[in-house]
Amino acid sequence: MVQIALSVVGGFLIVIGLAFMAGGTLGLLRFPDLYTRLHAVRVADGPGAVIFILGLAVVSGDIGVALRLILLAALVAALGPTLAHLTANAAHAGGLAPIAGAYTAPRPGRAP
Amino acid sequence: MSALIGAPAVALVLALTLLRLHIGPTLYDRALAAYSVITKAALICAALAAADGRAAFVEAAFALVLGGFVLSVAVLKVFRAGTFQTPMARGEER
Repeated sequence: MVQIALSVVGGFLIVIGLAFMAGGTLGLLRFPDLYTRLHAVRVADGPGAVIFILGLAVVSGDIGVALRLILLAALVAALGPTLAHLTANAAHAGGLAPIAGAYTAPRPGRAP
Repeated sequence: MSALIGAPAVALVLALTLLRLHIGPTLYDRALAAYSVITKAALICAALAAADGRAAFVEAAFALVLGGFVLSVAVLKVFRAGTFQTPMARGEER
């Protein structure tokens, strides 16, 4: 009974994570700009990956594998936004101007 | 069972990300897509671990995520400076 409940909940989490990841990857393919693609990947794709790994941890029957998967989810959740910040900062300092949206930040590249 | 279904679905998403890695106009797009590809490979490893019950696959996923993060940070540092020979001091030329 408990096994069936765990399997249902884990499968639900896996499907939700896959839907988030599919949306994020579609945004990565379709958005016009690096900065908007960054939103698609790190806002939809990163939480999708975390939800997917948590669903795997629920589905896997072994407690050791489940604990390692929860640790992997924490690692992915911590490293993704850090790398998003680094990517946007490097692109802005490297002189890449956004082409979409209202742009009020100082011009990229040289210091103001 | 659902872990075994999840692995090919993540592989499909990884193939779409490889498309962006191929056509990405700037270097920063490619760096973003490259870390996304590495993370999805780690997800496939984690799905195989959950399907198989072997903990070694999860440790392969740890190695992929940590190595990919360090590699992406180093590559973005090179892309930001535009050269391999960055000045030691924060320069007066800018």
